[in-house]
Order: sequence, then C-alpha cells, then structure tokens
Amino acid sequence: MNRFENFKAGLIKDNPVFSLFLGICSTLAITTSVNNAIGMGVSVIIVLIMSNVIISCVRKITPDEIRIPVYIVIIATLVKIIQMLIQAYAPSLNTSLGVFIPLIVVNCIILGRAEAFASKNGVLDSALDGLGMGLGYTLAVLAMSFIRELISTGGIKVVNPFNEAQVWLNLHIIPEDFTVSIFGSSVGAFITFAVLAAAVGAYKQHVTAKEEAAAKEEK
Amino acid sequence: MGELMALLVTSVLVNNVILTQFLGMCPFMGVSKKKSSAIGMGVAVVFVIVVAALVTYALYYLVLVPLQLEFMDLITFILVIASLVQLTEMFIKKTSPALYKSLGVYLPLITTNCVVLNVCLVNISNSYNFAQMLVYSIGTPLGFALVLFIFSTIRERLEQSEVPNAFVGNPIALIVAAIMAMAFSCFTGIV
Amino acid sequence: MKYLLAILFFGTLVAIYIVLYLMNKKTPKPEGCEDLKADCDGCKDYACTNNPSHNQVKGE
Repeated sequence: MNRFENFKAGLIKDNPVFSLFLGICSTLAITTSVNNAIGMGVSVIIVLIMSNVIISCVRKITPDEIRIPVYIVIIATLVKIIQMLIQAYAPSLNTSLGVFIPLIVVNCIILGRAEAFASKNGVLDSALDGLGMGLGYTLAVLAMSFIRELISTGGIKVVNPFNEAQVWLNLHIIPEDFTVSIFGSSVGAFITFAVLAAAVGAYKQHVTAKEEAAAKEEK
Repeated sequence: MGELMALLVTSVLVNNVILTQFLGMCPFMGVSKKKSSAIGMGVAVVFVIVVAALVTYALYYLVLVPLQLEFMDLITFILVIASLVQLTEMFIKKTSPALYKSLGVYLPLITTNCVVLNVCLVNISNSYNFAQMLVYSIGTPLGFALVLFIFSTIRERLEQSEVPNAFVGNPIALIVAAIMAMAFSCFTGIV
Repeated sequence: MKYLLAILFFGTLVAIYIVLYLMNKKTPKPEGCEDLKADCDGCKDYACTNNPSHNQVKGE
C-alpha cells in the first residue's frame, strides 16, 4: 500500500480508537482534560514510533515462533524508559496520568501495529505507520477530551507539563451554571465515546457507499 | 476486619474496575455477547488475577526490594503474568479437558488485560499488607466478573432490538455501559 | 554490579517466559476441544494466543 495512503488511513478511516476499537481503556480514562490528552497522546506516539522502528529492525533475526513474546519484552522496556523520563521531567503529568503510563504496555494499539505492520515492512514504512496511528490516537483523545472538558468545566486549560506554573491556554466559554459535571465522570466518558464512534462509523459507511456507487458507474 | 470488608466492597462496587476505572474494556466489548462466555471469562480472570497478584507481590518484596531493583517492576510483572498464563493453560490442557472447554480459551486473552497489570501495580503503589492485597486481588476481578455478566445479559437482549444504523455493535454497547455506570455510581457513599 | 544483576534477572525471566510459551504451543489441546473458539469476534489483541496470527508462519 502506498506509504502516504497508509499514513492517512491511520488518521480517520482506520482510526485505532474509533474504528478498530483498540486502546479504549486509556482513551476513556485520561480524557477528563485536554492537558492529559496531549501528554498521553505524545507518549503513545513516541512509544509507537520507537517500538515500530526497533521491531522492524529486528524482524529478520527474531525466530518466527517466539516473535510475540519478543515484541512484548521490547515494548515493556520502552514503556518503562518513557515512564522514568516522565517521572523525572514532567512530574505533574505523572500524577495526572497515574497508572495509565505503565498501562501503555498492554495498550492493544502498540502490539497490534507491531504484529500487523512492523513485522512485515521496512523501517521507514513502519515509522510512518507508527506516526499515523499515533496521530490518529492523539486526534481521537483530543476530540474526546475537548468535548468532555468543555461541557464539564465550561472551559479549556492547558499548562506546560514541564513547568506547571506556566499556563499556555485558559479559555472560559460556557458559564459555570450551565456546565454538566457528569461529563467529567465515567458516564460522560462512555456517552461521548459512543457518539463519536457512531459518527466515525456513519462517516465510514457513507464513504464506502460512495466508493461502491462510483465503482458501479465505471462498469 | 471491618477495614478489610470496606476494602472488599470498595473494590467490587464503588471503584468498580470497568465502570469507574475503565480497565478491561477490550474483553468487556469482545467477550460479552453471550452469557456463557461471560461466565467463563469471569472465572478465568478471578483465577489469573489472584495467582498473579500473589506471585508478583512475593517477587517484588522478596527479590526486587532487597536487591534494590525496584525500577524493574513493570518488566518483571508483565513477564511473570505472561508466563503464569502460559503455565496455567498448559496445566489445564494436561489435567482437565472439561475445565479447558469452559474457561481455557479465555486464558490467553488475559495476558494483555489491563486489569491484571493494574492490580499488580496498585498492590505495590498503595503499599498494601498481605491481607489487604489478598482482599483487593479477589474483590477487583469479582467486580469485573459481575459487571461482565450483567452486561452480557443486557447485550443478549439488545440483539433483538432495533438500533439506529450507526450505533449497531459497539457504540450502543457503550451507551449501555454509560447507563450501568450511572447505576453503579449510586454505590459511592456506601463505605 | 546492580545493573549486572538486573540484566541477569531480566534475562532469566525472559528465558522462562519463552520456554513456557513454546511448551504451551507444543501441548496439544485435549480431545473434543480442538474446534473451540473464544467468542471474541474480530479481536485484534495479538498477545492473546487464540489469535490466528500465532499459528501463521511468516512467508520470507
């Protein structure tokens, strides 16, 4: 598949969260604020790209039968390194993301892309695929957290993860009296996710229907 | 004793692992289409989590702490959990075909289940003593099994209803989960 | 010294996991169970050994 097509597919059509339903656990839990979403999205992109690259480099020398255990070990090591870096340089992010940083290890997206793509393609393709899927994930969590934070607190607040005192963005759009705080809790997470997933599913159906109609006309 | 009971109720109902902590969503969406598979999955999860929690707890305090290798916790836990699941599956294959038939197929799905890794990590980060660890490790998968079973009964019924096209499948299941979360959130003041 | 110990510990765990994984793969399922499939449809969880990707051999 064309490199660029593959990259684009990871963004909406094959969006790992809303289309393939991978990595739902972290999506639902960390999208309470845009800040957390950005931090998590960036971590996932880094882990995805690095794990895809490493696995693509070693794909010719790993014995075929034990490749899944080998991938799990590589991913676990990478995540631990990232976790230690976050603990050292962005402690506020560490407190707000909590246990979901080590849980990136069992995030189905990473192992899924490693097995489905990185084990069969070259280094550059795998890196691009990791970037595409990571961006798709980040877009998904950003969309969800934007909606949730806006409705539950009335505004968006983004701070510098490396220096909590520095506020990058502080918007107040909806007045306090009209906020629906339930969107900050688990109920709101499920509802937002369901609606967004339905929207992406409807879009995909629409696109497939158009493609089929175009193909029929050509015949 | 009262404190342990409170911990049990908290881990089963109040801080329910699926509806409040959002862990274990992948098997929750995938294995909940039929009641029988939900029961099999629930029992398998209880078993794996209890054994994994015991082993990782022992390994952490008897090996990693004396050798000052606490930074190896994540890698150790994931390897131990994966190995335990392989060992259990082999053991069940060899000793009891009946048991394998009912829950053996769900064992491998638990390797990358967020719940197991989370229980092991929380046992350490909350510095539970042995009794607390045991109660937490039994309560959490019980909560998971309970919600999974309830959800599967609802989903079986949902198959026969008319759902808008875009919502068929996972999205409508998530709306059901939202309503269940609302129901379970009434347990918050209970302890 | 501490890091050497860490690497040895890590290596032991990895070796145990890989040995158990291979042993499990070679153990045949009990009779009557060969056609069992977990009711998880279209699962993309590759660490789950039920996923058919574990039995495919990569075409080189």
